[in-house]
Amino acid sequence: MIERIDLLRALADRRSDEIVVMTMTTTLQWPLVSTHPLDFDFLAFGMGHASDFGLGLALARPERKTIVLKGDGGLLMSLGSLVTMGRYAPPNLVVLLMENRSYEMVGGQPLPPSVDFVQLAKAAGVEGGGSEGTGTVERIDTLDDFRAAIPRLLHEPGPHFVVLPVENHEPLPPVAHSDHAERVTNLRRALGAAHGDPERKGG
Amino acid sequence: MSGASASATLAALKRLGFTHVLSIPDSESRLLHAAVDADPELSLIVPCREGESVAIAAGLWVGGAKPLLLIQNTGVMEAGDALRGCGVGPRIPLRMMVGWRGYPGAAAGRLPIDSAYVYTEPILSAWGIPTFRLTGDDDLTVLGEMDETAARTSSPAAVLVTHGYRP
Repeated sequence: MIERIDLLRALADRRSDEIVVMTMTTTLQWPLVSTHPLDFDFLAFGMGHASDFGLGLALARPERKTIVLKGDGGLLMSLGSLVTMGRYAPPNLVVLLMENRSYEMVGGQPLPPSVDFVQLAKAAGVEGGGSEGTGTVERIDTLDDFRAAIPRLLHEPGPHFVVLPVENHEPLPPVAHSDHAERVTNLRRALGAAHGDPERKGG
Repeated sequence: MSGASASATLAALKRLGFTHVLSIPDSESRLLHAAVDADPELSLIVPCREGESVAIAAGLWVGGAKPLLLIQNTGVMEAGDALRGCGVGPRIPLRMMVGWRGYPGAAAGRLPIDSAYVYTEPILSAWGIPTFRLTGDDDLTVLGEMDETAARTSSPAAVLVTHGYRP
């Protein structure tokens, strides 16, 4: 098991201009290690849909990686998203699945014990997905192995779907109730996207 | 009116500058879905369920693209939390064409096939999402009105599509 804050710190240390979308308990700890303008707190934007949002970002911004930090409970709420990820498979998408086997944010209720997220992602077509067949699915069990994998995940084409067994022994900060529209405006500004819409083609 | 043509609707969508269309196949929109799929200027994305569609569309828009959601009224109901969380709350101007399943029968005085017809307008209204009606080619201009409303308010807006598409 990997202590989650150590995993997040290792990622933050190597991250440069990638978008990072986070949800649930990761939203409480990621700000302890990063205050990057391309960080996006997806909490309360839609249960289970952080990686869908990240898929849209990755398709719209192929010039940079989009990293999604989500939990295993959230994935169960939108399992079909694995199939969609496998079908469209943008090479610049990285999904890091925090596997703590519980609905930690809402009380730690256990997940079904036999679910294998690596096999689910493989069966959904993520492995070998994409026009170049570069999609990968893997499980990384130790912090050292994760540190070693980060350069590959950030620089080699994917999409990459990584299952990371995590635990947490740190006190969690309270939820930050920031304005959702402001979060969106800040990310669009950081990406250089217009505050309105792209220019219309004609009428 | 008995439905807009898929080709005229596609042309109108292209004039409005949409970059991506998210669509889960349904019987009423199948001709427009096929037309989008065959058009190299638009990227068709086919998610598994509508909540996914909404979240992907939100990500696309935040990234600078201009997506359109083709979604049946039953899908709007499935996607409620995503629509609230990724559209209404954060003021993301999601553009939607909502297939109003049950409308033709109800308009003809028959019992609707199920309760989806009845709840479509009240649900969108409850979320404060303005709606426009597309009944045929003569009112394709509502697509521009919906688009302009979403941009001006920076919030979702929807066209209710009353009939299936013609070729």
